[in-house]
Amino acid sequence: MYQPMLYLHWKQIRVALIPLVVASFGLPLVAVSGLGPAPGSTATSLSAYGIVELTRLWLPVFPALAAAIGATLALSAWNWDHRLGHVYALSLPLTRVEYALLKMGAGMVLALLPALAMWLGAHAAAWAVALPEGLNAYPNQLAFRFLLAIMIAYSTLFAMAAGTVRTTLWIVGLAAAFVVGGLLSADLVLTQVGAFERFDVVGSVMDWLYRGTGPFQVFTGNWSLIDV
Amino acid sequence: MSNAIELVDVGWTADKAFALSDISLNVPMGAIYGFLGPNGSGKTSTIRLFMGMLKPDRGSISIFGRAVPKDMKSILARIGYVPERPHVYPMLTVAEQLRYHASFFRLWDDGWAKELMGRLELDADRKISRMSKGETGKLLLLLALSQRPDLLVLDEPTDGLDPVVRRDVMAAVLDYVSETSATVFISSHLVHELERICDWVGVMDAGRLVAELPMQRFKNGIKRLRVDGAPEVLEAFPFVVLSRHRDNGSGSTETWIVQGWEAPMRYQIETLGATLRDVADLDLEESFVELLRSFRPSTTAGAD
Repeated sequence: MYQPMLYLHWKQIRVALIPLVVASFGLPLVAVSGLGPAPGSTATSLSAYGIVELTRLWLPVFPALAAAIGATLALSAWNWDHRLGHVYALSLPLTRVEYALLKMGAGMVLALLPALAMWLGAHAAAWAVALPEGLNAYPNQLAFRFLLAIMIAYSTLFAMAAGTVRTTLWIVGLAAAFVVGGLLSADLVLTQVGAFERFDVVGSVMDWLYRGTGPFQVFTGNWSLIDV
Repeated sequence: MSNAIELVDVGWTADKAFALSDISLNVPMGAIYGFLGPNGSGKTSTIRLFMGMLKPDRGSISIFGRAVPKDMKSILARIGYVPERPHVYPMLTVAEQLRYHASFFRLWDDGWAKELMGRLELDADRKISRMSKGETGKLLLLLALSQRPDLLVLDEPTDGLDPVVRRDVMAAVLDYVSETSATVFISSHLVHELERICDWVGVMDAGRLVAELPMQRFKNGIKRLRVDGAPEVLEAFPFVVLSRHRDNGSGSTETWIVQGWEAPMRYQIETLGATLRDVADLDLEESFVELLRSFRPSTTAGAD
């Protein structure tokens, strides 16, 4: 059951996934492309500080690419089932949970492809640049973070996309209402009464989601391929 | 357990405009059950209810004696389903779709699938997105039959297909049934298609099951009578007068459409002082139309 499901997901997504896999391989190389060794030298002409600063320009692109891959995997997983009204899926002798898990598992395996490409690209990039003393390349860590970010984006969007359009719109609407309503109330009301610092609800939730041990921390953590 | 499908007082509301009300339906084991009704009468919704795709608001459903939707997984393993609209993945080829489908069904018969593919003239390497409606219809039937199901549920399986494909599809179904004595539930608004093959018939109209009876009784039980000199008010008869109207320009002659007619009943008409001029059989389509007319408020029995 699993293998045909994996194959089906691959057939559904391959046109979109292949360019993303290529991008995953190329991104680390592009990120270090300005750091080539100085002519006649084995080391780059840039200072360690300059190298770190230059590679940091590309840092937002890594989590964005991971999120794009996760979204593509999640939406393609349910796209055709939604279009077919789930009639076919519901006529198969499986519980709904079993069916969703099979689909989820297929996407998880496909997520390994861009992560592997990132790992190879990061190693190639690390190999291509002669780093001054004090700097190190972290290709394994970068690729692992990339994989985790894809998985988080995929799982979140997979769960949202599994519902009906109405359910998804409700979730997105509630989240948007919470953020917008929270921001407005925080800015317009709490600031007026001088209680903003104590009752920054949206800020607290965002901190919990994106920092420390929050589920989306992987997106805001350290994406540096080259660091001290 | 004598019924393959059993619905008891099932109700389901789609929206303000449409609901299924108090459907009690029994499909005997081994029967070929024709499910007739005009478009929008609730045939597909009823099928989706007993396939576990919709949840009834009230009533109970069982298939092979097992409760729906509680035992759906084991029930679906025994059902071959051809839905109203094509539901296969267009990016796959025929062979890939067969492999995908086969992986879910323990009783999948690969040899028979190949044989059927040849008989239905389907190309294994053909991409589904490039197939015609007729070819897709044949593929859906191929998938359903190759599971070796105990129950075949066919929702308008030949709708929109040309006569040649329609004949191929029905022939494949009949071959399977003659070989396995499986139960078949087939919905259609094409009355003639069901007339030849079904032994039971259920008729839906506006969300209600208005009739359920053996096909033979349905075919023979509805007649057109021409009666002279009938009184305005009819006494109770052992048959049901579905409709009556005065013939144009023929004085006192009326045409009655009756259900449950038997030849000896002519004497009861004559005791009213009326004369029975002739009795004609209706074909299934005429019977179907008259039956529906009798259930609709604007053209109730006795209306002119």
